[in-house]
Amino acid sequence: MTAIVSAATSRVYLHPGQMAVAGMDHTMTTILGSCVAVCLHDQVQRIGGINHFLLPQAPEGGESTRYGDVAMERLINAMERRGSSVRHLQARVIGGACVLQAYQGRSADLGRANGRAALDALASAGIPVVLEDLGGHRGRRVLFHPGSGDVVVRHL
Amino acid sequence: MSPAKPRLLLVDDAVTSRLALYGMLVGRFDVHTATDGASGIAKAREVQPHIILLDVVMPVMGGLEACRILRDDPATAACPIILVTSLNDEWDIEAGYVNGCTDYIIKPVDREELLAKVDSWLAAALGDAAS
Repeated sequence: MTAIVSAATSRVYLHPGQMAVAGMDHTMTTILGSCVAVCLHDQVQRIGGINHFLLPQAPEGGESTRYGDVAMERLINAMERRGSSVRHLQARVIGGACVLQAYQGRSADLGRANGRAALDALASAGIPVVLEDLGGHRGRRVLFHPGSGDVVVRHL
Repeated sequence: MSPAKPRLLLVDDAVTSRLALYGMLVGRFDVHTATDGASGIAKAREVQPHIILLDVVMPVMGGLEACRILRDDPATAACPIILVTSLNDEWDIEAGYVNGCTDYIIKPVDREELLAKVDSWLAAALGDAAS
């Protein structure tokens, strides 16, 4: 499934597995627990895009944007289709909480794996990370302004 | 003798939903069920599940209140609680996290997503402390 949310409305809410790309006069919001959202901003085109994925790696042949590796590839591709060059992109990476404090630091921490998937994909694509707000034990509400790249994170 | 299956508590008042979820889970988990928040809390204290799947809109006691009570009870405080609900409004999702849920899945449930999340939280619950 590729779920690209229409950015025809000025405010877009993203559910897990969705993504959106838009310019000025839009805001995008989502709520994260162990999920991760990556916000990409193109300073030249003044557009931005955001995804929201649940799990780090798709199984063999998996095409769903619920998985980090697929969601990252699709988001970068969507930005390029809107005229962005990868060399103009900056990334903000948010989420990946382990909301049960007792489980933080365990190797099976899903939030940590999701965060690592995002950072690995960005490193592979050569996109710098200008904000990294990952981990912790609280969910997050994210507000992204794609035209400016500004991100507001409220911990729940 | 094969090792005991992880104990999973499924709390949902809707028969069709409960049966559908049960069918996705029963082969891999020792599934216990309850039909409202209050009986879910009682069942959780009785069977000490490794993970709880909790609907939100239920009679007697809803899932958000049950989640908060389970989180405040030392006997269940460390148990992962996944809210499984048709409520998909952003404020409902935020309320889930504010009330202590570990994760949130929106109905209709995708089996692949459900099992991946349950497996992930169980791996953490059953404990492999990392370096």
